[in-house]
Amino acid sequence: MPCKYVLVCQNEDCKSRGSGELLEQLSQKLKSDADVEVKPYMCFGGCQAGPNIVLYPQKVWYSGVQQADVEEIAQHAEGGPVVDRLTHGVEQPLKELIYQLLDAGLF
Amino acid sequence: MILFPEGVPTKHETFEEYCASGGYEALAKNLSPAAILEEVTSSGLRGRGGAGFPVGKKWSVAAESTESSRYVVCNAGEDEPGSFKDRVLIEHRPHLVLEGLALACRAVGAQRAYVYLNETYEYCLNRISTSIDEARAAGYLGRLQVSIHRAPTVYVAGEDSAALEVIEGKPPKPRQKPPFPATVGLFGKPTVTNNVETLANIPPIVRNGVSWFRSYGTPDSPGTMLFCLGAEMNRPGAFELPFGTSLRQLYEDFGGCLKDGAKLKAFLPGGPSCAFLPEDRLDVSLDPESLKRVGSTLGCGVMRFFPERACMVEETTRIANFFAKECCGQCPACRMETSMLSAMLERIQHGKGDPALFNQFEKIIDFNRGKGFCTLVNMPGPPILSAMRLFRGEFEHHLQHGTCNA
Repeated sequence: MPCKYVLVCQNEDCKSRGSGELLEQLSQKLKSDADVEVKPYMCFGGCQAGPNIVLYPQKVWYSGVQQADVEEIAQHAEGGPVVDRLTHGVEQPLKELIYQLLDAGLF
Repeated sequence: MILFPEGVPTKHETFEEYCASGGYEALAKNLSPAAILEEVTSSGLRGRGGAGFPVGKKWSVAAESTESSRYVVCNAGEDEPGSFKDRVLIEHRPHLVLEGLALACRAVGAQRAYVYLNETYEYCLNRISTSIDEARAAGYLGRLQVSIHRAPTVYVAGEDSAALEVIEGKPPKPRQKPPFPATVGLFGKPTVTNNVETLANIPPIVRNGVSWFRSYGTPDSPGTMLFCLGAEMNRPGAFELPFGTSLRQLYEDFGGCLKDGAKLKAFLPGGPSCAFLPEDRLDVSLDPESLKRVGSTLGCGVMRFFPERACMVEETTRIANFFAKECCGQCPACRMETSMLSAMLERIQHGKGDPALFNQFEKIIDFNRGKGFCTLVNMPGPPILSAMRLFRGEFEHHLQHGTCNA
């Protein structure tokens, strides 16, 4: 199933590790897909593990994302497989906190 | 009173006037460092910058250090919204502050002192530098070197360790603690940082003694405090009152109540990081213990009163936005929390959120509590959670309609 939102953290830490470029590249790759929206996000709080990207409503959290990972993440967003190696960077309680906020419409 | 004879600032005191009213007598007593420390410790004086830490305890850490070079910093960075007591003290009684600083230096064995002064306080700069010259010429400062350092007007620059960073020529960012500045402070040396008002209490304590000082205030919180009332009041200004005075007295008798006969709805008794209290708490005593018992704090004495027609959603959002803007950015938890809370409140204010948002505030605040170099991460919680508890109807109305029903 394709995801609806690819949320790319744009707070200081993630940005300093290249999340600005990741946002641009993912937007470019997915722009022809009308069902997927690539959006900047203020902060997921997983700063030490950044850059962080969350796919919603799938609730898949990618951390430590590099430009080389963009292709695979874009494929996942369009219904491809989860990029498992990038999903272990942050603790579960933080993930749950953020997912609840996303469920409450904060994006 | 202790700081102002009439309890309110009246005149801009000169060096001669200060000396004629007993000024520099405390310093001229030539007490030993241990004797000054003993007086201040048994006076029970606590810091007036907001945290309320016992002054004698902070001093003794530095005084007992094995390091021989030590510093004292007079913190006049004053950037708390609504606070102007430090400015008023320096403008009216610069020598009282300076004598307090000199006594602190003697007590802890510091050879160098800094006045860390809000960069927009031009007149204070003039007052304090003239005072340093006058005191030096009269021989009161001895070998003590006193320098003035301008403090940038960002909120965290007033935090004690951020002040040390600035004096060292670095950006205003709080340091990780421990070590606390009294152990490892300015240029790595033991450093006592005291608020202006705290230091202004020292000469009267040393001159008049502990029992005189303790005749003001309560047993737990001896002395007086300067309270700042803002433009929403009929008589705004700084008022010195003994701890334990009723807040109603400050509001009604000194401040003259809200302007235009407006009915009081709620108040913030200790600046933007304290919990809102409803109007029916007005009889609480002005001392940290009493405020704590009713769920708020006294902070550095900035009082804000809100009329019946005030929109508490807007007021709360403004506070959240303030902390988001003032977060220095170095601690991830603080960045995340302050930006989230502000975004969530903006949503609610403009009627764009989901009711599920209401349950997320406490979770975010709990998740991030204490996760920062300074206490800014803990600051948005009390006002936001208390406002949502006390004025839930206003928040729900905003969320549903995007407008105010206050």
